[in-house]
Amino acid sequence: MTLALPDLRIALRVWRRNLRVYSKIWRNTLLPLFFDPLLYLFAMGFGLGTYLATINGVPYKEFIAPGLCASAVMWGAAFEMAWNAWFRMEELRLYDAMLVTPVEVEDLVTGEILWAATRAVIYGTVFLIVIALFGLVDSWWALAMPPFLFLGGLCFATIGLAYTSLIPKMDYYTFYFTLFITPMFLFGGIFFPYDQLPGWAQVIAWFTPLYHLVNVCRELATGPEALRVLADSAWLAALTAGLFAVPVRAMRRRLVA
Amino acid sequence: MSAPAVRARGLRKRYDGIVAVDGIDFDVRTAECFGFLGPNGAGKTTTMKMIYGLAAVDEGTLEVLGLDVARRRREVKSHLGVVPQDENLDKELTVRENLLVHAGFHGMRGDDAAGRVDELLEFSLLGARAGARTPELSGGMRRRLLIARALVNRPDVVVLDEPTTGLDPQARHTLWQTLDALRAGGVTLLLTTHYMEEAARLCDRLVIMDEGRILAQGAPGELVERYEQPHLEAVFLHLTGHRLDT
Repeated sequence: MTLALPDLRIALRVWRRNLRVYSKIWRNTLLPLFFDPLLYLFAMGFGLGTYLATINGVPYKEFIAPGLCASAVMWGAAFEMAWNAWFRMEELRLYDAMLVTPVEVEDLVTGEILWAATRAVIYGTVFLIVIALFGLVDSWWALAMPPFLFLGGLCFATIGLAYTSLIPKMDYYTFYFTLFITPMFLFGGIFFPYDQLPGWAQVIAWFTPLYHLVNVCRELATGPEALRVLADSAWLAALTAGLFAVPVRAMRRRLVA
Repeated sequence: MSAPAVRARGLRKRYDGIVAVDGIDFDVRTAECFGFLGPNGAGKTTTMKMIYGLAAVDEGTLEVLGLDVARRRREVKSHLGVVPQDENLDKELTVRENLLVHAGFHGMRGDDAAGRVDELLEFSLLGARAGARTPELSGGMRRRLLIARALVNRPDVVVLDEPTTGLDPQARHTLWQTLDALRAGGVTLLLTTHYMEEAARLCDRLVIMDEGRILAQGAPGELVERYEQPHLEAVFLHLTGHRLDT
């Protein structure tokens, strides 16, 4: 079957439904996801960081802070496209309700991904504000970060929804988080430069989206080299575009076979 | 004479090697109430799903309002209202928001959507509960909300899959009155049921289905006469050799 392109206007109808629900509950959801990286910043930056002078000449707190913006984006998008998407698909049967209207599978997938990226960019940006208040941002270029966080959110959301579209039971999210999201978080270059990893692990890390998003955030927070930012962004965009067909095809098989 | 509201020829659907719908033909006329009567597993729901786009047609042709459902799905769905068998109201939203958001899926915004939603709240007797979340409603109210939701886009054809299953007699009667009002308004209704009384009360014409096939079709009274049986239930027993409620 050929891959039909989504109708963006219709995808935004799906996005608006999620925004409506989120506008009621955002106070309760913002705190936990935002505390997570904040705790890491305190434990690693202000705790462990006092034993480490600098990394590449940068104080340790400042080294890890921008990377935590990237991880806030990753966690935000991953949660949204894991349990929350599963809840909408399997518990609310909301996807079935949408698909009997002019919304098609490709619109639904696009709307959900745009929504998860939106939520992710909210988390990442709030975290950016926090680290800026702590004085951990050196460059005004950090103001340009949100669109890049959105791009990263699109990438993690596409991966997450692809996973959700393929699994038979929600128990499978354990594997997703312990074998994919958490290792990226630990080895994606947030807490130590990735060139400290053994060569083979560097190769793996290079292929993960978090590594590239961390690079972008760190560049923008410290004064960027435009070319590096563009290269990392291009990689994220390419991965997102390349994977988009996976949730569309799998959701079609799952929902309208 | 305009095209039939729904037209199926040689319609067939398999799931994992099991034939759910086995080559059926039927025509639903504009503004009539057309029933699919049969036990669970007869292929009624699968037929409905092919009409409203949650199941792909394997073989044969299926047209809604003269449009091929396989090729012009988006257009077909914009003219359809769907009341699914399994309730899928949005539990995270209020009654009014359920209707507003569904209007949004159909591309209705602003005053157009709000006006239509107010009309439907009144029509479905849910005005007083507009601000309630759906889990707080009774079973009958939830079913009425599902019907109201299906009407948001002013559909020409409304498909109802087992609309009264699980409702108490009073709620069932209220719902029948709702469906009468729709028919009076010129909407074509397709409904599945395994209640004989409901089929006889509501349907202008119906098909009797069993094991994916259509065994007979006609007006309820006509079928009773044709097979010389006292009532529809006996017609079913006569045709299939088993009772409908087993």
